Amino acid sequence: MHARTQEPRDNRWHDRYPHLGTGPIPIEPYVSPEFFEREREKIFRKVWLNVGRVEQIPAQGDYFVKDLDICRTSLLIVRGEDGQVHAFHNMCSHRGNRVVWDAKGSCQAFACKYHCWTYGLNGALKTIPDERRFFDLDKKTLGLTPVAVDVWEGFIFINVDPQPAQSLKEYLGEVGASFTGYPFGELATACFSWQVEVKANWKVGKDAFQEVYHIFSLHSRSTGRMFATPSNPYLNAHELALFDPHARISVPANVAWQPTPVEALAKRCGILTLQKQGISSRGMPPGVNPTGAQDWSFSGFNCFPNGAIFVSEGGFLTHTFWPLAVDRTLWEARIYFPKAKTLAERFSQEYSRSTFLDGVMAEDGGIFEKTQTMLGSGAKQQLYLSDEELLIRHHHQVIANYLNA
Amino acid sequence: MTERQLPEAFLDLAPYLEWALPTERERRSKRATSSMAQIKTFYDGMLARMDAVLPYLGKFPPENPPPDVQQLFLLATALAEIAPAIEMFGEQTALGLDVLRLTPIDIYPARR
Repeated sequence: MHARTQEPRDNRWHDRYPHLGTGPIPIEPYVSPEFFEREREKIFRKVWLNVGRVEQIPAQGDYFVKDLDICRTSLLIVRGEDGQVHAFHNMCSHRGNRVVWDAKGSCQAFACKYHCWTYGLNGALKTIPDERRFFDLDKKTLGLTPVAVDVWEGFIFINVDPQPAQSLKEYLGEVGASFTGYPFGELATACFSWQVEVKANWKVGKDAFQEVYHIFSLHSRSTGRMFATPSNPYLNAHELALFDPHARISVPANVAWQPTPVEALAKRCGILTLQKQGISSRGMPPGVNPTGAQDWSFSGFNCFPNGAIFVSEGGFLTHTFWPLAVDRTLWEARIYFPKAKTLAERFSQEYSRSTFLDGVMAEDGGIFEKTQTMLGSGAKQQLYLSDEELLIRHHHQVIANYLNA
Repeated sequence: MTERQLPEAFLDLAPYLEWALPTERERRSKRATSSMAQIKTFYDGMLARMDAVLPYLGKFPPENPPPDVQQLFLLATALAEIAPAIEMFGEQTALGLDVLRLTPIDIYPARR
């Protein structure tokens, strides 16, 4: 167990990563349209991106559509007749129309609405109405264009690079392995999900989930009480660890914290998001509670570039930031639960949903647009990071490495 | 009252049925537009009965409960929805992003 005191650390996290330096970081990556275009081409069109979970498409023919503005495409993710997850560009081979318009559904074939060219679940072109009026078509070459897809622990990742430089397993590497075995599937049979477009750069959103220094302040009225303690008032992390291009953060819990009246009711009949109850981190894979702390609340897998997966003894949740423009982002948040067995258990999940809306979506979301406005003002050129904000510095460095590669 | 009936043992909660709203958006809108006094009245009245409500709701699976049980569940859910206003903020909404801007999305197949 790692005790925390108010005294400064003898060793700084940054000492472990001297190549990152300790100086200010530039504001330009948050506001420059040119920088954004380079991120699009050198990062988002090259790396593996998490677009959802297997529970979204449990049966053959189940599909969902993921619009990826940042990759300039819309993808169709489908459970094929072979039981595997497939991904295709959602584009008809005839004259380019978007084939599937629904967000999700289930079918045995995809028919383009324009001229009813029809594709199988494996993407193969099956029928062309009035085919005899076409010239020299080779239908075998005219299926939906496949996109690289793979699954890690139930998370579906795609890569729009026609020839990905790494497999998904290689890409997730050591940090992925450190979370492999957490019971994601058992804990994901129910889900609350939201999306909202915010007028902010995608990194402004991501940054808020790469450090917990803000919790004592921004969340002082809501969730802050669950984490900070008199002996660790600024919520110094248990561990910050970097695994290029990803990172991991492990966060203390305030074990003395007393629940509010309604929270106590909710705790009685279910597990609450990010709280110490439900499953035990003992015997879990090493990334879950990496220091083995008794006062551990949750750990974050910061999945480069735009995702974060937070695991706890009370289930897991994800945040994903999909860039739309240099100053516009689609924020997706999902909290997962085991499917409730009773309405009382469902009540506890509704309580988690409600406090998540206030303590995360409202409070964290509130800073995104305000920060972006000021970053764009030109008043300052640099930002200053604490030792506890190592992951933000690292994220900037990784992005720079990709752009300069 | 035929549509909005509560289980027999919880008919005393009928004055709060205006809070039995089926969607997050409706409950959040009501929270944002009610006075703190109105929210506190509902909070106190509902909280006082939850020791009986939760064991009762614990007898029902979540799928397709009888309409009166569903109404009682929605009242409990409304308590969860407004609890942060009373227990955390002392005002209707958190400081920050207006959660009515969010689009809740059911990402799982409807047949589940």
